[in-house]
Amino acid sequence: MPDADRAAAVAPIVVGIGTYNNAGTIAAIARAVRDGLCRDFSVRDSRIVLADGGSTDGTPDLVREALGDAAGRLVQVGYPLHPVDLFDAPYHGLPGRGRALAAILGAARELGAQVCTVLDANAEGLAPGWLAALIRPVLDDAFDFVAPYYARAPHEGALTRSIVYPVFRALYGVRIRQPMAGDFSCSGRLVEHFLGQEGWQDGARAVGVDIWTTTAAVCGGFRLCEVALGARRHETRGDAPDLSMTIVQVVGALFAGAERRAEFWQRVRGSSAVPVFGQPTEAGDGSPIEIGRLIEAFRLGHRELRDVWAAVLPPATGVALNRLAQADRPSFAMDDDLWARIIYDFAIGHRLRVLPADHLLRALTPLYLGWLAAFLEQAGTAGAAAVEERIERLSLAFERQKPYLISRWRWPERFNA
Amino acid sequence: MWDQVHVIFNRAAGRIVENIANFLPGVVVLLALLVLALVTAVIVRVVLYRLLRGLDFDRWAARSGMAMLIDWSPNRSPALLVARAVQWMILALGLLAGLSALDAAMPSYFAMTVFRYIPNLLAAVIILVLGDLLARFLARSVLISAVNMQIQVARVLSVGVKWLVLIMAGTMALEQVGLGRQILLLAFGILFGGIVLAMALAVGLGSKDAVSRTLDRQLRGTADHRTDDIDHV
Repeated sequence: MPDADRAAAVAPIVVGIGTYNNAGTIAAIARAVRDGLCRDFSVRDSRIVLADGGSTDGTPDLVREALGDAAGRLVQVGYPLHPVDLFDAPYHGLPGRGRALAAILGAARELGAQVCTVLDANAEGLAPGWLAALIRPVLDDAFDFVAPYYARAPHEGALTRSIVYPVFRALYGVRIRQPMAGDFSCSGRLVEHFLGQEGWQDGARAVGVDIWTTTAAVCGGFRLCEVALGARRHETRGDAPDLSMTIVQVVGALFAGAERRAEFWQRVRGSSAVPVFGQPTEAGDGSPIEIGRLIEAFRLGHRELRDVWAAVLPPATGVALNRLAQADRPSFAMDDDLWARIIYDFAIGHRLRVLPADHLLRALTPLYLGWLAAFLEQAGTAGAAAVEERIERLSLAFERQKPYLISRWRWPERFNA
Repeated sequence: MWDQVHVIFNRAAGRIVENIANFLPGVVVLLALLVLALVTAVIVRVVLYRLLRGLDFDRWAARSGMAMLIDWSPNRSPALLVARAVQWMILALGLLAGLSALDAAMPSYFAMTVFRYIPNLLAAVIILVLGDLLARFLARSVLISAVNMQIQVARVLSVGVKWLVLIMAGTMALEQVGLGRQILLLAFGILFGGIVLAMALAVGLGSKDAVSRTLDRQLRGTADHRTDDIDHV
């Protein structure tokens, strides 16, 4: 960090943004941050930390330009990008995100921040009010971790709704609807806690660093809450990974975290809600999805990948999937307990290295599309309340099936029997 | 005259006895080496089998996709196959060592030739095993990727890739042991070239309508709202 900033290193509020070639969105984000800080806080008491991985499209210059008079509050830090970071495009769009986050948190600690808010550089339509909503619970109500609660159309965030949220809730006992969000706030003491952990900035873990931070906050006994932020939009990048790669990264990070925290979650029973600030809003229905194509994708997967699925799924599940593959569209419905057991079996298969992780998680894609088809068939045109109720039933099924996971986790010889 | 015959017979008998006397120690050494090899082979087989069972080698082989190993194994136990293979290898080495101990030109030459051939044989076995593993890995990778791309002929592509790799591995193994080198390389070249040419013709001529429709569908994108355009996370 530059000496000038170190000399004035008292900034209760730090807003951090990790960037790598985000010229399309960063100017709007920087303006929203500047406006949010001016409107609700004192710019003098805040710093904007830009962790850039070596952008070649002028991203840092665009930030300075957009901040205008507030550019003096900008602290620019770099983070190293390794060739392997650029090999597979990450689902969140920021290569080396673990190291970027480490740089932001390190700068926040040096600045003595009471609250550090991290924003996703790919977000579009970031309202200035978001910043205050993310910061206030930490400053005013002494929460340590603030997660966003987005308003989403029924088909958006389906991977989070079908797998990440129910599994996170069942394992760790906390109902955080977006445990892998790129936007969050954390207190100074949680920053210290993150920086005190080892090995999360690099390697395969760094792709799923967002779930790591939420999990570390839960397992560390910190106070968590959610804040309603309205609809979420992201820039569609040309280098975004396809669905199967997204599943490999997202679900792989979730399963890897479960392996590391097995001692913790095996003692957790049930789940509890966290305080929600603000009023959750409804998102629109979004563009229509062709459910028939999702069902066909599931049927193709069932026809060709049965042998691969048989490596992790017990025969009873195979029979249930046979029945589902033969069901016609009106009766195409995946039972919640069946889906929970499928995900848990894949988690155990991931742990036991039954197949290479890449193959195992890619093979989950047709099953996920089948679940999505069944979900949209039932809840696609219903309102937000009906969707929320549907997800609640699914999450309870995951909690109900947790003993199934624990018994297979502890006694692997029973796996696939 | 009878004295001369007697002398000749004595000389011949003496030579025979001398030859037998020269040969016998080699035979004794051969028998001793065989017995030692037999005892060693049995002990190693028992110890190795128990060790592999303790390491759960059978389950690891099943998970690693070493189906070839399982299919060829007695009682479908790769551990037993490996243990017996090592046993017979020790016996074979013992026999060869014993033959080389004989002070006879042909058996010694045979033994040395076989000893020199063993590295090629081992290399061929390793190539076959690795080739089988690689073939199954790539086949599964192609199958899963093709299914996720919603290609209907995913299974055909997967089987094609698997057999291509297996044929390449088999060719390399046979070349390693020096069997039919020229014919093998020629046959492989013709086969591989023929496959590539057939695929090029099929795509270029026979499937141009299907390829055109597939490309058009992929390029159209927004109207179909592909699943990849949704924010799944």
